[in-house]
Amino acid sequence: MQLTVNGTAHEVDAEDDMPLLWVLRDELGITGPKYGCGIAQCGACTVMVDGVAVRSCQLALGDVDGEVTTIEGLGTPEALHVVQAAWVQHQVAQCGYCQSGQIVQAASLLDLNPEPTDAQIDAAMSGNLCRCGTYPRIRAAVRTAANKLQGA
Amino acid sequence: MGRIKTIARRSFLIGSVAIAGGVAFGIYAYKREGKNPLLDTLAPGEASFNPYVKVDANGVTLITPRADVGQGAYSIQAHLIAEEMDVDLATVRIDPGPPSAVYYNGVVGIEAMPIAATSETFLANTGRGAADVAGKFLGLQLTGGSTTVPDMFDRLRHAGAVARATLIAAAAEQTGLPADQLRTDMGAVVLPDGVRLEYADLAATAAEIEPVQEVTLKDPSDWKYLGKPQQRTDILAKSTGTQTYGIDMVMDGMVYATTRTNPAQGGAIRGFDASTAKERRGVKAVLPITGGVAVIADNTWRAFQAAAEVKCDWDDAPYIGDSDKQFAAVAAAFDPARQDSRFRDEGDVDAAFEAAAEVIEAEYRIPYLAHAPLEPMSAMVLLAEGRLDIWTGTQIPRFMQANAAKRAGLEAENVHVHVLMSGGSFGRRLEDDYVLQAVEIAMQLPDVPIKMVWSREEDFTHDFPRPLAMSRARGTVSDGKIAAYDLAVAAPSTAESQMARLGQPVMGPDMAIVQSTWDQPFAIPDYRVTGYRVPAMVPVSSWRSVGASGNGFLHECFIDELCLAAGADPLEERLRLCSHDVSRKVLEAVGEMSGWGSEMAQGRGRGLAFVLAFGVPVAQVIEVTDVEGAIRIDKVFVAADVGRVIDPVNFEAQVSGGVIFGLGHAMNCELTYKNGVPQQDNYHAYEGMRLYQCPEVVVRGLENGTEIRGIGEPGVPPSAPALANAIFAATGSRIRTLPLSHSVRFV
Amino acid sequence: MRLVFALMVAAAPALAQEVVTPQIPREEGLAAWDRIFEVTSHPRCTNCHVGDAGIPMWEALGYGEERVHGMGIVADDSRIGAESVPCRTCHVTSARANTVPHAPPHIDDAWRLPPIELEWLDKSSAEVCAQMRDPETNDGNTIAELVEHLQTSAFVAWGFDPGAGRSAPTGTVEDIARDVALWGEAGTPCVEG
Repeated sequence: MQLTVNGTAHEVDAEDDMPLLWVLRDELGITGPKYGCGIAQCGACTVMVDGVAVRSCQLALGDVDGEVTTIEGLGTPEALHVVQAAWVQHQVAQCGYCQSGQIVQAASLLDLNPEPTDAQIDAAMSGNLCRCGTYPRIRAAVRTAANKLQGA
Repeated sequence: MGRIKTIARRSFLIGSVAIAGGVAFGIYAYKREGKNPLLDTLAPGEASFNPYVKVDANGVTLITPRADVGQGAYSIQAHLIAEEMDVDLATVRIDPGPPSAVYYNGVVGIEAMPIAATSETFLANTGRGAADVAGKFLGLQLTGGSTTVPDMFDRLRHAGAVARATLIAAAAEQTGLPADQLRTDMGAVVLPDGVRLEYADLAATAAEIEPVQEVTLKDPSDWKYLGKPQQRTDILAKSTGTQTYGIDMVMDGMVYATTRTNPAQGGAIRGFDASTAKERRGVKAVLPITGGVAVIADNTWRAFQAAAEVKCDWDDAPYIGDSDKQFAAVAAAFDPARQDSRFRDEGDVDAAFEAAAEVIEAEYRIPYLAHAPLEPMSAMVLLAEGRLDIWTGTQIPRFMQANAAKRAGLEAENVHVHVLMSGGSFGRRLEDDYVLQAVEIAMQLPDVPIKMVWSREEDFTHDFPRPLAMSRARGTVSDGKIAAYDLAVAAPSTAESQMARLGQPVMGPDMAIVQSTWDQPFAIPDYRVTGYRVPAMVPVSSWRSVGASGNGFLHECFIDELCLAAGADPLEERLRLCSHDVSRKVLEAVGEMSGWGSEMAQGRGRGLAFVLAFGVPVAQVIEVTDVEGAIRIDKVFVAADVGRVIDPVNFEAQVSGGVIFGLGHAMNCELTYKNGVPQQDNYHAYEGMRLYQCPEVVVRGLENGTEIRGIGEPGVPPSAPALANAIFAATGSRIRTLPLSHSVRFV
Repeated sequence: MRLVFALMVAAAPALAQEVVTPQIPREEGLAAWDRIFEVTSHPRCTNCHVGDAGIPMWEALGYGEERVHGMGIVADDSRIGAESVPCRTCHVTSARANTVPHAPPHIDDAWRLPPIELEWLDKSSAEVCAQMRDPETNDGNTIAELVEHLQTSAFVAWGFDPGAGRSAPTGTVEDIARDVALWGEAGTPCVEG
């Protein structure tokens, strides 16, 4: 079937029930989204479908009904997305393994709710697990990105 | 002191290997120059002046042999070299290098010795020196014990200085100008007329001359990078999804694999039926491996699905398999016959208890804990024409090389370990079990790159957890002071379990059982700590801050109980007892930061804990609020002294991360067992902390210590006791068992 | 729009009263209600039929008693989490069977909380009964519409067959649809309480 990822159309030959995560990683070689738990407990696999965050380990290929954006499609080292720039500015990452999902989740939040309260930031980001303990900097980076988006 | 004499007669344990009889030969071997492994890799025109720097026509490569598991080790190591070499880190390559004895860890062995970090005696310092000798002699390349900065601080700066001096010498030779007229600036030698000769363009000349060894390191006041906020070298990659972890490795023609082994760690498989699994789409093979099966497929998910479908007949667990029986075995180990250590026995505790009107007693217990780094165990392997290549994240590349060689029946020199970034570890990657599984697959499927990835469930059930433990503590108070303190800790030995898997002998007592209890800088008149070794049960391993991770709770909660029983202020009493100036300043700092002693509203409370671990005194004050019967953690104040803060940004990250890691596990986490199988097999049952529960963490780094120390682990141990002490202050409920969620609800 | 909705539901009771002439004894109606309440008070239903705090529950999932949904999830005023993290981020829309334990369940509809008026968590039988018979508080449904909703809702179907070893209320979609119809025919009797 056809799958559009980061603006590029791909022809994918895989089972309907293969989770999008594994289509991205193993069929298309897009490794920004990470496998952490397989049951939507960690959020490391978060991508956007039609601009809304989705745990790609839960979404079967056959149920994908829009364009997929992964962390790679959000921005690049040369052209950072405003959320990525905030992540760099606050030096959020430690091991970094969860951060692809954290960043995509934050970008989706700010897309839906450009002026989140602190409580809404907490609620939005609590589904993404970080084992290293980078939460204080995640909070600060989301706030910085929100401020920047509002100023723009 | 009698204690030191006892130690003098004892064999020093270096990395748990006895070297008392081998020191003479060891020193001989030690004094030889370590071989620079980069020399074997050089092409014409490429130069390497030492094991840490390589320059060729394309630029500069810095070798950072300590593993980066999230603590920023690559970045810190690169900055140490760059400070002296004068290069721009945005333009250099950073490479962990090959496994090599020259990258030995010279200080990790200190933690295996019964020397208190606060001891400055001749014998203590001699012992510390012996750790360097032994580390070098054994070629102990290992990342752990918060040793990267203390071990590498001088070594890497020296390497950078040698590289810079040699490049200047090369420029002098190339231009005919005297070296003292040349200076360097961000990756180039600058001639008096301002012309820049890039290091890369000097490589060919530099390769022909002897490295300049006489160098003077910069005065700290001249530092450009060190001591100042640095940008992590991996921050761009980790913010854009472009960092390649072990699990992300891709090779042409590779196949995907996963394994399923006995969920009772180390148990055998009696037989299996893979008939339906083999029929699934994309499945290439189902192979037997030690303790289970491996599924080879053309996609990880297809491998997972097929593995779940294999019908396996598991053998029984090779250890006591149920949690209640495991704790019963721990309780039974409080027996003189099982005494493992008594490193502190000051005054006369027994006489003190005899004479006291009241003896305060308490029993504490802590559970097994999984490492559960977010990147599950994975490895890429290729066995072809007598050569084995391994790509993975690891803290022990040389042990891995040796063990993989043994498993594959190869010479170690034919095994090439390529270290990749780890998506967390917390000690998990001090094991090489997952790689040995991949090697077993490769032996049955040579000439094909195999990427093996574990499911999260496989990862949880095949961890080597932090061991469970119990303590029995007694104490007396008089005149508003702590008078006597007797702590007994019973736990299985991590060193015994871990070293057996690495093929290393282990002798003498296990420091981890009593880590950060006997060596705390408190002058309690009668002070005794006894370690009891529980017979091996579940295979166990080092977990972020090792023995201190749980002992901080056992020890500091009871100290809090004694302070309160004495009617003393917990901070004032600790300050009164404190026998170590650097530690006292840490306690004073946290008291000042937190406004200790000021009024708190009804239903709120603050708790204090102090733990000196890995030579770093850390004090924490935690504030909590009782919200209609549930606990909210409001704020954490932390003061820590590492002697010198090399990067304040990463220091703050490691301390606050350590606190959050410690709190999350203290609140929510345990591994319980049934028939040998961990009952928590994914994050739904082992959550740690979520962002909405995360308090504000205020960190202060002090620099009064005389030694430079690492900070990856020391933030962890005081967090659990500070929280439990705060909960007591807020609610009057003294919790002596972890996780705290058994006793209170958190919001 | 709010006004239109109010007008619509205002018309409904008269209609209902006209249609429903009790043909079933009150006792049978009450017995049917008891069976209905047994279902609506099951955690499978009350975990999402929560009040205006918009915080779903995770009761009867083996994660501890009286446990709120993990991860600090708040569905908020939108009832779909639009202000923070949408339900559908994890509870994807899919007609596939729920087979993985501890994974977020999915249905072939947008995962969301029911309207606040339909709060069932910690409500008594009498409270829920009064709520259900009044279109003002039952999302504007006649009894016939309720029966149809039960028969066609992907949520209701999932509730009786949540998959992956999750507990479910006793009975089937057909059972509860029949009981609601019966209760309606009996004149929607409620016990006082």
